[in-house]
Formats: sequence, C-alpha cells, structure tokens
Amino acid sequence: MIKRFGIEFVPMDLYWRTTYYCIQAERLGYDSIWITDHFNNRNVYVSLTMIANYTDKIKLGPGVTNPYMVHPVMTAESVASLNEIAPGRVICGIGAGDKTTLEMAGVEMKSPLRTVRESVEIIRRQIVREKTGYDGKIFKTTGGARFNFKTADHIPIYIGAQGPKMLQLAGRIGDGALINASHPDDIERAVKLIRKGSEKAGRDPKEVDIAAYTSFSVAETEKKARKPVVPVVAYIVAGSPPFILEKHGISVETADKIKSDLANRNWDEAFGAVDSQMIDVFTVCGSPEQCTEKIDILFKTGITHFITGSPLGPNVRASIDLFGKEVLPHFKEN
Amino acid sequence: MGYQDIIKKVKDEERNDLSVKLTDVLLEAKGGAAVPSSVAKAILYKWKGDELSSDEGLKYLLKGAMKADEERSKTILDEMGLGVDR
Repeated sequence: MIKRFGIEFVPMDLYWRTTYYCIQAERLGYDSIWITDHFNNRNVYVSLTMIANYTDKIKLGPGVTNPYMVHPVMTAESVASLNEIAPGRVICGIGAGDKTTLEMAGVEMKSPLRTVRESVEIIRRQIVREKTGYDGKIFKTTGGARFNFKTADHIPIYIGAQGPKMLQLAGRIGDGALINASHPDDIERAVKLIRKGSEKAGRDPKEVDIAAYTSFSVAETEKKARKPVVPVVAYIVAGSPPFILEKHGISVETADKIKSDLANRNWDEAFGAVDSQMIDVFTVCGSPEQCTEKIDILFKTGITHFITGSPLGPNVRASIDLFGKEVLPHFKEN
Repeated sequence: MGYQDIIKKVKDEERNDLSVKLTDVLLEAKGGAAVPSSVAKAILYKWKGDELSSDEGLKYLLKGAMKADEERSKTILDEMGLGVDR
C-alpha cells in the first residue's frame, strides 16, 4: 500500500522561513506541502510560488482554499499558473472553509456541499479549457471565461471534509480527500464515508488518495510535544460540531466556554480549559515512537496519506528533522 | 572584523555546527523581518544546494543572523572562539 506523507504550513511566518522548512521537508522525503489559505495570513499563492522556486520534486498546493473567498475561476487560474513553475507537482485542496474566518469578512457559508461541488467542476473545466460556459446554481460562467493559456498537467483536486455529506462528495468527485481529523475513530468513520461516496458514483475507491489532515506535534519527549498543541486544540474544540464533541465525551458547554474565551481573548482561561483527553482526541502528538505507533494505527483505517499539520512541534526545524529522520523511515522503508 | 575574516577562523569540523546555530538564530529571532530579502533568498539557495556550511553559505548566514539578532549571533561567535569586537 502506498503511504504518502505531507506537511502543512500556515503562512503566518516570514516567507523565507516557511520556504526554508519546505526545502527541509523535501530533503527529508516528505511527499506533499499544503499551504493554508486565510485572508489574514500571507497569501497562499505568493507563498507557494516561492516554495516552488526552491523545491524540485515535492508536490505542493493550497490546503485548503475555499470558494467563498476565492471564485473557482481564480483558483483554477492560480493553480494552473503555479503548474508552470512546478510542472506536474501542483495539487489543489478545496473545502467549504472555516466559518469563523468567513464571518470575520462578512461572508456567509451558504450551501457548502453544492458550492464545493460546482467549484471543483469549474476548476476542472477551466484547466482543460472547456469552450462552453458553466451553468450551475451557485456559479455561472460563459464561454468567454476560457483560459488564454494551456495547462500541461493534470492537477489533482483534494476535497477538505469533516461532515458525512462532504466526505461522501470527496469520494464521489475528488482525486483526493483531506479528512479534517486526528482520532482513529473519526478517521475510520471518514474513510468509510469516502469509500461509500466512491462506490455510489461507480468509482473504484482506490482511485481516491485519502489523507488524514491532522494537528500534529513531535518532540523528544511526550511532555515537550504536548505543550505547543494546547492553543491549537482550544481552537479545534471551539470549532468542532456537537456530534464530534459528544462522541468523545466533551461537553458542548465546555466547548462554548472555550469559544467565548477565545473570542474575548481570554487566552489563559481558554487554553487552561484544554485537558489531556482533548489533546488525545484532536491531535497526533508525542515522542517519535508514540507518533509512529499512532500513525501506524491511522494507516490501518485505510488512509493513504498522512499530513502533519500545525503546530508540528515546539521547535519547527527540530520537529521536522525528528519526524523525517525517526518517524518517516519506519513507513518508507517498510 | 569582516565576515570573511570570521569565516577563515572557522575550523572544518565546526562549520556545520556554526551553520546550524546561525540558522536557529534566523528561524527563531523576533527581528527576522530585518533580514534583507536578498540575503534571505541567498540563504535559501544555499540551503537548497546543501551549501550552508560553505564559505558563501556561512557568509550569508552571518549577514542574516546579525540583522535578525546581533546579540545572540555575537554570543555564538564568542562561544566558538570566533569573537568579534563588541
């Protein structure tokens, strides 16, 4: 079975630092780089262009963009342009986006399932330069929207998903799926839904590259690895749907309190409410041995791609190195 | 003392250690935004080619690290016996 490994960066840091880490990841044998797309961080395609210039083999793309902030014709234009700099290496992650961030910009998340589906269709049509326009319920284009340039390579589209319907959509139409979860039970459930979606569409489920897009941290010791995940977990708990919280025995009231403390910038209260169980549910973290064991369990659920997402570890450079030298070889050599 | 003079004093077996320490300064310093983009790009180019321990690589790392956190960079040089006048 193919086992791919990816790494996510939130472009909050200086462009050359993110690029440094990406070069490091490529050298250590990672397979993919995913750059998040939030309007309040550095631009995803500027970041990707820089990274593309300093890497040669590793796949790279937005992970994930959303069609509410970026019209799909613009996403198509961006990934197709990036493909000229990094031929055959571009991947495109797209999802409904983060409701909280969208609300900050006054954007409403309407009909997420249809919006994502139509977006994927438009991106694909644009890339192959379809002559006719697109007549969807959300998006409409005319024949004049056709690109004035050709794209030499296929650009795989990965659908970011958490809810049952979006997971099935990923299985139905995605080249890949990005499961927004870290716990084996949640990922196992997601894999089944993705496969169900593929089967319903008459596809071979193996056609879909299924990735666990996790919140990740590795360090020499478990204690050191757990510390940086606390703020990330606070945000995950605050943004998780009730069915996920209840499934893991986390009360909705606790999550609401954390959400309110985060909104009011009461960091001590919000982060102080994060307990050990929440960390276990919403992250993959620990020593290299513990991470290896946890990732091994995740691959047994049927995923084909494991993505290490923020925060990566207490020291990003050291954690990438630790992962590349002590975790990755266990899977790449077997 | 110029950067080239400092680099001449670095023993072969200490080149990698120095490059790692200066890289940490660059990646961790609060003053990272002060690093000129041209220096940052030169460092990335050297890093891509695995040449950060070369004369040129160390020169760019020193330039960048001094801009990002001069105090910490000088301490590293002092500890490695490469001290510059304070």
